[in-house]
This record gives sequence, C-alpha cells and structure tokens, in this order.
Amino acid sequence: MQMPAELLRALALALALRLLVLTGACKDVRMANEVLAVNQPFAFNCTHPPLTFGDVNVTWYKAPRNISLSRNITWRIHQEHTWILILPLSLEDSGMYQCVIKNTKSCYRVHVNLTVVKNYSCVSSGSSLPSLSNEYSQILYTGNSGSLRCHLYFPDSCLLDSIKWYKDCKEITREQQKFVSSDMKLFVYNVSAEDGGNYTCTAILKHQAHPRIQYMVLNSITVSITERGRPGGRIPKIIYPQNNSIEVRLGSMLIVNCNITDTKENTNLRCWKVNNTMVDDYYSDSKRIQEGIENNVSFPEHIFYTVNITFLEVKMEDYGLPFTCHAGVSAAYIMLRFPAPDFRAYLIGGFVALAVVVTSVLGVYRIFKVDIVLWYRSTFHSAETREDGKLYDAYVLYPKPKRDNQCHKVDTLVLKLLPEVLERQCGYKLFIFGRDDFPGQAVANVIDENIKLCRRLIVILTRQSSSCGLLKNLSEEQIAVYSALIQDGMKVILIELERIEDYSTMPESIQYIRQKHGAVRWRGDSTEQSQCSKTKFWKKVRYHMPPRRYPPFPLAQLQRHTPYIYTAGKWEPNVGPVTH
Amino acid sequence: MLSRELSMRIPFQRHIQDFDQRVWVLQGQTLTMVPRKANVVPVTVDLYPCKHLETLEKGRGDPMYLGLKEPQFSLFCTKAGEQTVLQLNKKKIKDLYDEPQPEKPFLFYHKEVGSTSTFESAAFSGWFIATGSNGECPIFMTQEVGKTHVTEFVLTTLS
Repeated sequence: MQMPAELLRALALALALRLLVLTGACKDVRMANEVLAVNQPFAFNCTHPPLTFGDVNVTWYKAPRNISLSRNITWRIHQEHTWILILPLSLEDSGMYQCVIKNTKSCYRVHVNLTVVKNYSCVSSGSSLPSLSNEYSQILYTGNSGSLRCHLYFPDSCLLDSIKWYKDCKEITREQQKFVSSDMKLFVYNVSAEDGGNYTCTAILKHQAHPRIQYMVLNSITVSITERGRPGGRIPKIIYPQNNSIEVRLGSMLIVNCNITDTKENTNLRCWKVNNTMVDDYYSDSKRIQEGIENNVSFPEHIFYTVNITFLEVKMEDYGLPFTCHAGVSAAYIMLRFPAPDFRAYLIGGFVALAVVVTSVLGVYRIFKVDIVLWYRSTFHSAETREDGKLYDAYVLYPKPKRDNQCHKVDTLVLKLLPEVLERQCGYKLFIFGRDDFPGQAVANVIDENIKLCRRLIVILTRQSSSCGLLKNLSEEQIAVYSALIQDGMKVILIELERIEDYSTMPESIQYIRQKHGAVRWRGDSTEQSQCSKTKFWKKVRYHMPPRRYPPFPLAQLQRHTPYIYTAGKWEPNVGPVTH
Repeated sequence: MLSRELSMRIPFQRHIQDFDQRVWVLQGQTLTMVPRKANVVPVTVDLYPCKHLETLEKGRGDPMYLGLKEPQFSLFCTKAGEQTVLQLNKKKIKDLYDEPQPEKPFLFYHKEVGSTSTFESAAFSGWFIATGSNGECPIFMTQEVGKTHVTEFVLTTLS
C-alpha cells in the first residue's frame, strides 16, 4: 500500500517540476543551433558552470510534446548524466530539444535546435549547404608552433579512438615530421603559409551499449595562417629620458616627452610618477604638473609611444626631485636643475662694459686732457732739473706786421703777455728775439745758436704772416723752423693771433705743423683776465710747453736774463745782468 | 605600414583564446568560450592597467580592469556563498581606470608566462578566470588552477 503512494508522490513531483519548467519559471541561459549530417552520432552536454559542478538535476526534453528522454542507454535517443546522445542521427530527429538544470535554489534552461541534413562528405565544406556544427575555423600563427583541435565531445560511455588527420583530404602520416597527433590535437611545428587549408579529423566511436557498432565522427577544419605574433614577453624600452637632468628656469613652463617602444602584444602601463605616485594624483589639487595624452605610432615590429609630463610652472621644490617615466617594468627619470651661468654672456657683457669704460675714459681724457696733464705736472712735478743741455723752454718767433694795430697786438702778446704768464706766473724761460739777443750780433748766428738751447718753438701767426712775407723772407723764421723740424725734432707751438682761414699761402713747414699738431688761437686781449694762466688759451699753451721743472722765478729775477755763450765747447752763462 | 593616430593611451584591445582553438564570445549576457568557427565573432576585450600599483599586491601580475567593448561591460567579481562569481557590470572601465582608488572587485592580476595569461581576482585572492576544458563553456571563476578547468588564456591583438 505504501509503494503506490510513494510512486504517486514522485509522479506528482515530476509533474510539478515539468509544469514549473513549462510555465517558464526557469531561466533560459542558452540557445544552441546544431546542424549535423544524417547517420552521425550526436551528443550535447547540458552544462552551466559553475552551477553544474554542484549537485544538480538535469533533464532533457524533446519538443513539442515535452516528454523527458529515456535514460536507457540502449535507446537510440537517450539521456546519459547531463548529456543527450543520439546514436546515430536520423532525419526525423530534427527539432527543438530542451534541457533543464535545477538545484534547490534555481532553474536554468538550455535550448537546442537540432537540424539533421542528408549527406556529408569530405568536400562538402565548399558546398552551399548550411555550415555544419562540426565545421570549424582555426588559426595558426606563422613562425610559431601551434595546434589544431578536434572538437569531439561525447559522454564517458563512448570510446573514441583511431583518430586520423587529413589535410585537403590527404591523410597526414606519422612520417610527416611537421605534424604530431596527440589525443585530440594536431601539433603543427614551425607554421608557414603553406600550412593553411582544409583539415579533417576523424575518429571511431564505440558506445558501451553496442560495442560492436562503430561510428565515424569527424570535424572539418578550415585553417588560416596569420602573421600576428603572440605575446613574447619582451620588456618595453624607454628611449628617453635616460636618468638625465634638464636645465630649466624657475617659474617657466616645461613639457618632457617619454619615448617608449613596446611590442604590440604587451599590455604595459605607461605613466609618469613622482615619489612613487602618479603625477596626476600627486598634484591632484593644484594640477600644476600633469600627465599628457599619449600618442602612439605603429610600426610593423613594435609600437612607438609618447607620453608627456607638463609642468605648468616650475617651482623650487621640483628641482632635484626625480620624475620617473614607467613602462611596465622599465623606468627612467628626469631631474630638473637650475640653468648653468652663461659664461659667454658674462664675457661679452664684461667686454662691452670694459669698452664703455675705456671709451668714456678716453672721451673724458680727450675733453680734459689739458687740465689733466697740467694737474699731473703740478702735482707730481720733479724738483730736479733734468740736464738736457737746454737753456730756454721756448723760442718765440713772431712776425713784425706793418700795420700798427697788428704790430701792437703782436707786441702786446709777445713782449707783454707771454713773459707775464709763461715766465712770471709759470716759471718758464723764453727766448724772444728782439728782447733776449745782444745788439750787434748776427741775426743768423743768434737764431742758430739760441734755438738749439730751446725746448719748444712758439710761432706767432697773423693773417698777414704770409702776405707780409716775414716768414718767407726773413732767414730767422726759416732757420728756426728748419732747425725745429729737421735738426732737433723740436715741438712747435703755433699760436694764431687771429682766425686764419687760408693756410695755403703759408710756408709748407707751417702747413705741415698746423695739420699735425694744430694751433692755439689767441682770443684774449691785454686785460688782466687774459693774463691769468688759468684761462683756456694759456692752459693749452702750457700743455704744449715742456713740464715745468722749477718753481716760478721770483719777480725780481724775471728782469734778469742770462744769455749763454758757447765757449770752449760748452755753454756757460754769460755773467752779468741784462736789463730791458 | 605606418599608421599614426592620436588616441587615448588605452585601452589595450584584445581577443582572448585558449590553446584549444576556442575564443571568448558574448552569448546573450554570458561570456562564453566557444570553438572558433567561421561565424563566431570573438568579443573584443578592453584592458586598462590600474594606475595605483602601490596600493596593490606585488608579484601577482599587473592589475587590470577588464571589460567588453561592445556592448560595454566591465568584468566584476562578487561572492555568492562560498563561490566567487564573475559578472558583467554596466560600469565603464574607463571610469574605473580614472578612479583615484583601485576598485578591487573589478581588478584582475594579469600574469603573463610566455604567451599565456592568467587573470586572478584582486578582491578574492586565489580565484582565477576559468572555463571548462571541453567545447562551448561559460567563463567563470575557479580556485582549481591547472586541474579540470582552463585558466590559461592567450591574448591576441586585433587584426
């Protein structure tokens, strides 16, 4: 009595489960389309990992009546564990099948749409038939060794053996060292383009329920060859930076590129870091230093990447800190440093400054030359008399104009102002022809002898100097100038009594001196101011005069002149005062 | 052969296959490993390396965000009882990449040995992305490495 009750309960449970399945309470997880040739064995495993690794109840149904399949392994169509097995397929097996996977918590449903087609042959892969489920497309990579896989999956009750491989319908034999068949795989060594083509793998299937019946199962595999390599584990190379430093000015903007080459297959992170932190994170608040967008250029063998770091403004704290570019395991840093002082700029600056200083000094000297020389003489004058055998500081040569007013001007300058300023105030000693010569002496002798005793020759020029012919005709001037220029190399001081525009009428010697040393123009008169040695005119004259080596004579001494006479081979003072 | 492009530095875009001529595809909402066939379109996987290496474990591989390009999904690990479950999440991995902190449930340590890659969950240590060893099979998480499941994959660049 108990047995029928249990049977009824089980039946009720089965019915409830079926109702549950049919009303759609199960989740559809997969829809498989299977197309196979007639008379082939067919197996399909109903799994849904990881669920089906656990304790699940799998039931196969055949549509449209949704009757669960038999678990009797001798039946042509039956369920074995989680598998549906049809040994072999017949045309009327086409249709929908369902498997329901169920555990205590969940229910999943897999649909299989099975289509059985009439014939299959080795060459059918090129036909217009719908592609069969056992037609595969596999890839091998040139240069590498690879393997093809024969996808034959049957429950454990099936024994698969005598696996054979064909390439373009020719059996691959063991003698072909390029191929090695192992289990369900065909290893292909040193793959080249010729290895592409149509492969077939076949196996003999025996089922434990009918061990004497052999079925042939097969895969048709279209193999294509590609050149794409697989990851080779090459490490990326950082071309720049190279742990170097970069000169950069404080406050400036800076962009540094990190240049990397890496294989196409690698999946390395490329980034800039500081203190082992991404720069974007390290400066996340200020954004002062940022990582830029990456560029890449593809080459056949590798990819060239550029990723930059941008310093919007270089700050003090950036100096000496390593900023590191990372590419996978590779890393290289840059460090900022202050720019080195530019010695060239300093050098140029120094030379320019020196040139400016020298030019300024020369300019100042040029302007104040007279004052500087006079000041120098007065400050550092030597009290010692240098013995040069000279008696006078200057020989004064002057014309004697016919016109009275000019004659007066010349006389005033020569006989009054020159002695007053140069002799009395400055202490020079002059030889003035007509004042210092002895009456009766031959003019030529006087000049010749006395001019040799003078250190300078002062020539007074008037506008009529040439026209009145004094300098031309009188031997005095000729001797003096000749002597000054040729014999002694004496310095000549030209004093223009008035503005002389035309020197062409002057003797050539005078022209030459005028051109070479210039002339001092007399602008004063006989007033007291003109007699001051500190006026511009007198300063210029004093500048041209030799350095004064002795203090000014006392006033009384000015009136005394001591002409020298040449006796016994040396000059001796002519004793006895001479009064004018 | 030279192509120049101004691009976002990342993501890296890859197809993922195994040594049995199977590839990752998206079937409905399920990431699945299927044998390569003429009409099988591999799913393009985006990979973003995580920037915050200092906060993550070292020596377990490069931490990566994994996502699907189309439709946009990110791969995400969560716990369902004892199991670690792999899910597709609507979050964009570019956003995850830009997060100032590592988003561990979305992170996988990508370890390469030769040409093979493994992906270990950063949130759940010892759990690896895996699939069944035969035929068509969903992608899931497993602790059983090198046993019945496939945890070694090959990343290939897009043609």
